[in-house]
Amino acid sequence: MTTLLQVTSLTKQFAGKVVVDGIDFTLAENTSTALIGPNGAGKTTTLSMLTGLLKPTSGIVKMLDGDLRSTIGFLPQFPQFHPWLSALEFTEMAAKLNGVPANKAKLEAQKTLEFVGLGNDINKKIATFSGGMKQRLGISQAIVHKPKLLLLDEPVSALDPVGRREVLDLLKDLQQETTILYSTHILNDAEEMTDQLLFLRDGKLVEQGTLHEVRERFDEPNYVVEFNTEEEADHFIQSEHIGKAKGRYVYIEIIDEKESMQELLHHLSNAPYKIRKVERQTASLEEIFMKVAKKI
Amino acid sequence: MRGFNVLLQKEFREAWRSWKFLWIPLVFALLGMSDPLTNYYMMDILNAVGNLPEGFEMLMPELMPVDLLQASIGQFQTIGLLVLMATFVGAISKERASGMATLLYVRPISFGAYFLSKFIVMSTVGFVSILAGFAASVYYTVVLYGTFEIGSLVASFFTYFSWLLFVLAVTLMMSATFKTIVATSCAFIVIFMGQMINAIVGTFWTVSPWKLPLYGVQLIRGTMEMSDFWWSLMMTIILTIVCISIGTFTMKKNASMTKI
Repeated sequence: MTTLLQVTSLTKQFAGKVVVDGIDFTLAENTSTALIGPNGAGKTTTLSMLTGLLKPTSGIVKMLDGDLRSTIGFLPQFPQFHPWLSALEFTEMAAKLNGVPANKAKLEAQKTLEFVGLGNDINKKIATFSGGMKQRLGISQAIVHKPKLLLLDEPVSALDPVGRREVLDLLKDLQQETTILYSTHILNDAEEMTDQLLFLRDGKLVEQGTLHEVRERFDEPNYVVEFNTEEEADHFIQSEHIGKAKGRYVYIEIIDEKESMQELLHHLSNAPYKIRKVERQTASLEEIFMKVAKKI
Repeated sequence: MRGFNVLLQKEFREAWRSWKFLWIPLVFALLGMSDPLTNYYMMDILNAVGNLPEGFEMLMPELMPVDLLQASIGQFQTIGLLVLMATFVGAISKERASGMATLLYVRPISFGAYFLSKFIVMSTVGFVSILAGFAASVYYTVVLYGTFEIGSLVASFFTYFSWLLFVLAVTLMMSATFKTIVATSCAFIVIFMGQMINAIVGTFWTVSPWKLPLYGVQLIRGTMEMSDFWWSLMMTIILTIVCISIGTFTMKKNASMTKI
């Protein structure tokens, strides 16, 4: 995979306070990367520096394919539009400012607005738009000029479940031909569409890798055994000296896949009551997130 | 000047759709017609209001047409400029504060083009406004008092327009440099304090942009010392260009102040 963007020891201080602290990463072409971390971790600041709007205190953002400002599309967390323009006028202006030839700009703008689902509202003034429509318009202005790199700050956080679903599907379509870097704190979204994860905490990149790699590192797999009643679960633990009870469930940590399984089966066969379910459970991204967020 | 045409179109659309091309000229037209009308009908107004003592006699000054134009320009200088400056002083700073600038600043635009497109639209609104103001003032003066010589009247108009370009350049430069509140204060201080200082020591300080509105009137009166006029005009144009350059520079420098 070819590298598109290279970030080297990127640092930002505001009045002596370090907000982003020497982070390094690369983005490969046509991959999508999720920038996750708790509020105040420095996600927006990082994205702002990548757009060129904010000058880094030190460090380098290097676009390996052309000039940075003409190759990116950016969607801020709360995009603000000129309310007296129509959706079409705004998108067309965005296209032209990014160098789409004047005779093609209008057509491109129309196509893009249809793609994001605003086909029926292209001539309405932005002032009349709802939050969801503005988010779609925000995406359309970011992609109308077919940027190589798409930077999205919390693209779906402000949307209702239906809007979220639709925007995520849009982004999945875009994923085929664009490099995407987006920040989010909604981990299901990151789980759904991401090739690379970047965990930010207090301005530092504390964890990075593919979803699979990160999971391997933080996973503490368990067997979960579900009983009919709490008493049965408690009794099972007391008689077999294994696992931890939580209500009707018993959690048994897996130390070695094969041995643990044999051991579990042995204990289960001793149990005198009905067992509802046995399940192998892996950590969700949310649990990993909590671990990373608390890791010292 | 990348994106100049596109940005110019956007600025014109904004000014047009927010009715700036209508209501600001209307304000100037009202200001322009008020002096010729009130002066001419002063006696009638006083009589109609009543309560004048028996046998009251008042000597109304004999007014020349140019006196009424000067009075109108005096109105533009206070209320007119206040309206124009207050309307446009947020042109850049408010766009930054609201975050509307963000979606433009991330694109490969030239800040010079963006600044100039705003300046041109402001100047056009200003031009139409004082045109309406002069037209209203001159129309009622001609109907009620007497005529002007057309050549010197046009010269006077463009002299006032040069002064207005300077005012707008100062306003926009402040908007690019500071946040709206500070920009408003600074722009008002430069323009209105300048006028006050000019009123106090103007007799000795004959070359400055603040002189131009008066010089325009003196062109009509035919009492103008032409070397003072040319020097002032030149100084005004140079200062306008300087303001535009500084404004472009600070607009670019302050790009990161935009709300993201």
